[in-house]
Amino acid sequence: MFWHNFKYSFKTLLKNKTLVFWTLLFPIILGIFFHLAFSDIEKKETLDLIDIAVVSNDAFHENKLLAETLRVLSDDKNEQRLFQTSYVSLAKAQKLLKENKVIGYVLVDEDIHLTVNSNGVDETVFAFVMDEIKVKQKMMEAFTREETITKYSQGELVDYEKIYRQASQLLQQDTDVIHDISNQNLSYTMIEYYTLIAMACLYGGMLAMYITNYKLANMNCVGKRTSISPVSKGTMLLGSLCASYLIQLIGLLLLFLFTIFVLHVDYGNHLLAMILLACCGSLAGLSLGIVVATLIKTNENAKTGILIAITMCGCFFSGMMGITMKYIIDKNIPLLNKLNPASMITDGFYALYYYDHFDRFLFDVISLLLFSLVMMILSFHELRRQTYDHI
Amino acid sequence: MIIFKTFWNVVKKYKGTVLLYTVMLIVFGGLNMTTNESSMDFVSSKPDVFIVNQDPGNKVTTNLIQYMKNHSCIISLNEGKDAIDDALFFRDVNYVIYIPKHYGQDVMNGLHPKIDVKTTGDYQASIAEMLLKRYVEVERFYQSRVKEEEKFIKTINQTLETQTKVDITSKLDTTELTSVSRYFSFASYSIMAVIIFVICLVLSSFKEENVQKRTMISSMNYKMYNKKLLIASFVYSFLVWVLFILLAIFMFKGTMFTIRGFIYMFGALVFTFCSLTLALFISTLIKSKEAINGIVNVIALGSAFLCGAFVPREFLPQSVLTLAHIFPSYYYIYSNDLLKTMETISIHTLKPVLFQYLMLLVFAFVFILCNNMISKYKQKLDRL
Repeated sequence: MFWHNFKYSFKTLLKNKTLVFWTLLFPIILGIFFHLAFSDIEKKETLDLIDIAVVSNDAFHENKLLAETLRVLSDDKNEQRLFQTSYVSLAKAQKLLKENKVIGYVLVDEDIHLTVNSNGVDETVFAFVMDEIKVKQKMMEAFTREETITKYSQGELVDYEKIYRQASQLLQQDTDVIHDISNQNLSYTMIEYYTLIAMACLYGGMLAMYITNYKLANMNCVGKRTSISPVSKGTMLLGSLCASYLIQLIGLLLLFLFTIFVLHVDYGNHLLAMILLACCGSLAGLSLGIVVATLIKTNENAKTGILIAITMCGCFFSGMMGITMKYIIDKNIPLLNKLNPASMITDGFYALYYYDHFDRFLFDVISLLLFSLVMMILSFHELRRQTYDHI
Repeated sequence: MIIFKTFWNVVKKYKGTVLLYTVMLIVFGGLNMTTNESSMDFVSSKPDVFIVNQDPGNKVTTNLIQYMKNHSCIISLNEGKDAIDDALFFRDVNYVIYIPKHYGQDVMNGLHPKIDVKTTGDYQASIAEMLLKRYVEVERFYQSRVKEEEKFIKTINQTLETQTKVDITSKLDTTELTSVSRYFSFASYSIMAVIIFVICLVLSSFKEENVQKRTMISSMNYKMYNKKLLIASFVYSFLVWVLFILLAIFMFKGTMFTIRGFIYMFGALVFTFCSLTLALFISTLIKSKEAINGIVNVIALGSAFLCGAFVPREFLPQSVLTLAHIFPSYYYIYSNDLLKTMETISIHTLKPVLFQYLMLLVFAFVFILCNNMISKYKQKLDRL
């Protein structure tokens, strides 16, 4: 009877186009949208070439430090190039700024003046480089003053050219004291794909809910017939749930293959741990589906609406509609995400991707198993009590 | 009147959906309003920095921390490794500086102690790194020249206090306008989803076989029946527009009662009309209520993701933006972005914005045309 139920539940579920769309196709479609929208977002958050203009007057050419610094920072052979510089007249610089072809221009008279269109990161960097040049000028002045006084007190001739060269060399020394120890896996858009997996796991609950409804006498005629048949209800339900779990896992496998090979999502290097987490996540989705089917006494459409609402709320708190939401909840209301299965799944993948230890991952897996167990106990307790005199 | 009333009775069933998308818009608009304060003077972007100080109490170290405090936002966090790593991953912090033990003393002894840093690698982190590098360079320069601690700190600070004079030409309050523009761009998703979803479901109720048969044998003129359904759909769409405009007025009072604000409202109205024609077209194409749910999600989410309703257009790849030209949302969101940066408003400067609205009307015309063609084709099939 187990295999009979398993086989026909499998067929029934796969023939339901709506279920197939929401559990198998929709996560893939959403994954494509994520990929199209987020593929460049991190690249565009790094510093790019900044278009600037320099008013090429006599004062600018006399300021050797400024001219040389801008030349180096605009040199296309320099790997740390910052600027795309146009050397123009004041009128032309103003025109370029008005047409938004440059973010600002520098004018040298008695001092260095900057003109920009608006506030922003590029403008900050531009102003920062000008400040840097002025700081270096101050240091050069200090060095020249010091050297001149020393030479003068020693009765030696002051060679200003030599002092300038020495000062320049001194200022060009690399500051190698800053040591970067950052983690390499810092791509935060990965969280979006992890929430997608979480959504797919929990949407799988729709399969379990649909098939459980078939076993409930108050839901449809098949349920009535099943209830009065002389077959163990547990065996029948188990066969059907195994079929829905199998379809869930097939859907997840397709989603994983698609995200890994087409969208190039990075799940870390722990394949077995990833499979374990996906299985536990699907189990949580399945148990959630059964609990909604058994505990909530309403029609099928309302049950589907409730399950989707629970899933989408869970995904919202785990960062699907804004990556930082997960962090905000983790930081301020950690209990909420500790009870949220979507967050447990997302956090598990995040832990595999970002952390070099398994403590957090194991905590998430155990949490998912506990969640599933509690949901199953609630559902079976409810199912065991169901008897009808008449419907 | 009976058709008009029935339309609203069916709409009532979907008030939860309208409410859901409205709440999403309010949450999104609210989040956008919590951006930086506006200013007419040049204000540097300040990165979020967290400092782990293992050399407390030393004056040289304290001076470095003070310098970073003056030029960046210092974030307070739990000092545990996982808390710091999480903050970096989720961009709560752009840059973490680990000041080693005896840092200040080592500097005064002429040594060059290493400073560990963690960075997110984005532009904010680059600014933080530039700040730290500048400080360390100046510190190193005076290290061998000034031996007395107090004088050393004073010389560093005097050198670093130099600032270039920056003039800002734009007198636009871009902060408020960015929020308004983001609100209306996100509203494109809410408007499209609410209109397509509800109108398609309501019209599909009218197109159920039994209902349609009853209507056909009734005394009502078929053209009158269609006209009343159309009027009801128009009224519903107009009310959706009014709801989202009232929300916009509530959130952005300052901007909405200006010429720019009226143009934003007009743009939303044109987009609402375009969404309505799309909804009518889809309702002619599809009868199944279950299929409508899926199609609404794919169309509304797809155009929102690809056209810049969720992610600003400047962050989208060029190929995606090229593809997005096939969606009306692209032209609407582009018009919002144009309005955001427009210095002066005149007929001449408004031309590009009006062109986008014209494109929306072209889309609406195409949807109406396709709708009529398919309706006629289906009628022919029914007669056969």
